[in-house]
Amino acid sequence: MSEKQNHSFFTVLIYISPALVPLSLFWFWPMLYSLYISFTNWDYMSPTYDIVGFRNYLNLFGDPEFYRVLGNTFYFTAGTVFPTMVGGLFFAVLLNKEFRGNHLYQAILFSPWVTPTVAVSIVWSWIFQPEVGLANWLLSLFHLPKLEWAGSSTWAMPMILIVTVWKGVGWAMIFYLDALKKVPKELYESAETDGASWWSKLIHITIPLISPTSFFLAVILMVDALQAFDQIQILTQGGPAGSTRTLLYLYYQSAFEQFNMGEATAVATILVLLTAMLSLVQFIMAKRWVHYE
Amino acid sequence: MVSTLSKNVLRHILLFLLSFFIAFPFLWMVSSAIKTKEEIWHFPPTWWPKVPQWHNFIEAWNSAPFGLYIFNSTFTALIIVCLQVVNSSMMAYALTQLKFKGKEVLFFSILVTYMLPVAATYVPSYILLAHLGMLDSYQGIIVSNAVSVFGIFLIRQAFMQISKEVIEAAKLDGAGHWTLLWRIMFPLGKSTIITFAFISFVQMYNNYLWPSLILSSQEKFLITIGLRQFFIEDGAYGIKWPLVMAASTFAIFPLLVLFFVAEKWFIKGIGDRGVKG
Repeated sequence: MSEKQNHSFFTVLIYISPALVPLSLFWFWPMLYSLYISFTNWDYMSPTYDIVGFRNYLNLFGDPEFYRVLGNTFYFTAGTVFPTMVGGLFFAVLLNKEFRGNHLYQAILFSPWVTPTVAVSIVWSWIFQPEVGLANWLLSLFHLPKLEWAGSSTWAMPMILIVTVWKGVGWAMIFYLDALKKVPKELYESAETDGASWWSKLIHITIPLISPTSFFLAVILMVDALQAFDQIQILTQGGPAGSTRTLLYLYYQSAFEQFNMGEATAVATILVLLTAMLSLVQFIMAKRWVHYE
Repeated sequence: MVSTLSKNVLRHILLFLLSFFIAFPFLWMVSSAIKTKEEIWHFPPTWWPKVPQWHNFIEAWNSAPFGLYIFNSTFTALIIVCLQVVNSSMMAYALTQLKFKGKEVLFFSILVTYMLPVAATYVPSYILLAHLGMLDSYQGIIVSNAVSVFGIFLIRQAFMQISKEVIEAAKLDGAGHWTLLWRIMFPLGKSTIITFAFISFVQMYNNYLWPSLILSSQEKFLITIGLRQFFIEDGAYGIKWPLVMAASTFAIFPLLVLFFVAEKWFIKGIGDRGVKG
């Protein structure tokens, strides 16, 4: 067979279909079908429905509650992505050296990522218990008033952020550790002979050289943040008064609690567009500041 | 010299504190699980119960079918991981070794899928499973998770790193596609594939939202759903916190053990999965 010739259709089909069939059924087709449902008023129960055009979208965009959900989503995304990255980098800088116990520290710092979000959120909900919880005991040590946490529309979101960052920071650490190992030692040495401080080495050498990893993490963590659900359902169910309801939670409620499939899939479409847009913005920004070798 | 030493001491102190903070919820979970009702509602909190109530674990274990839940999660996750490994490998083989029309389009579509939120597929996937009669069944869980876009990427990456000479030599020896994939490339990509299998197993075991939508009968619950059920039935009313903590321990413990046994592979494997792509 000559190199340029395509492989036979049948051979290709054998290799791609085991993945392509489920991929089409549970990814490609649902994406398109979801878009279609978003233009209907289907309620899942009735066999018929009407095409309502953009009404679901217009309803959403005309509803002040939707903007609050959008705001919560941005709050959650920014409030988890940045601390997770900064924390991960901090851990990695501390561990970027061979010494006794290094691997044990790594394992402990990473361990929350392995555990079920549902289970650890239940444990955290006990820690944030308003009357006798450990979090409020800590506050009392500093003579601060007890907080209501899950019961307060101001503190419910920070509580969820703490749990989410706690769970993800070890994950970011692993990627940064790998990136730090790849920074050429000579760069630091020559900077040291120029008398550069620890801080200026970090700002001028480390951070620019690990920027591809930062970029990668920013995209991945953001996509994850837009899909966070488990910890929200366990800790607050989107409350109090909708203060922790994010786009995905709104989607879940409209689809599987109210069976308003048209509205739910419109939310899903907005979620997809938002993810795509944010990824795109990051790719454009990456061109300006990510330093590839 | 002195400054290096003090730097190292500082490093250890910091790492010790951070590790303690990160591991603390697990320790607190176990300590709370063996408290009496009086101790758990005591403020300021007691760090360790006077008399550890180890029987709380037995009581919790008997108050819901946790053994069955853990079995369900493990069983479905294992089947899913096997399916994902096989079909991702085959897809990765096609993407790296076969020439065909539409390959770029196919790869681009998979790439886009990787970026998009899976939740956006839930409504149609739910409808599809309803049509197939697979709601509230293991088949539904397995079939809907049968493919992993992440797996395709990761294994494709591993296959691309296999040297051309090895592949050419195998071809000259008369290896067909099937032999080349399973006898040569699959073993060479072993470490990536094992890492992927671990990650995917953990994710499937921990999966909650999607399974909670499609499973409704209790004997089919996964551990995440069963635990949440136990929590809202008993825990939310604030009477059975020790039992809820004991039950959370059952859910978390198998994964922590698995992780600490396989830790080196796991951590190295994740770090190695190139960020260059």
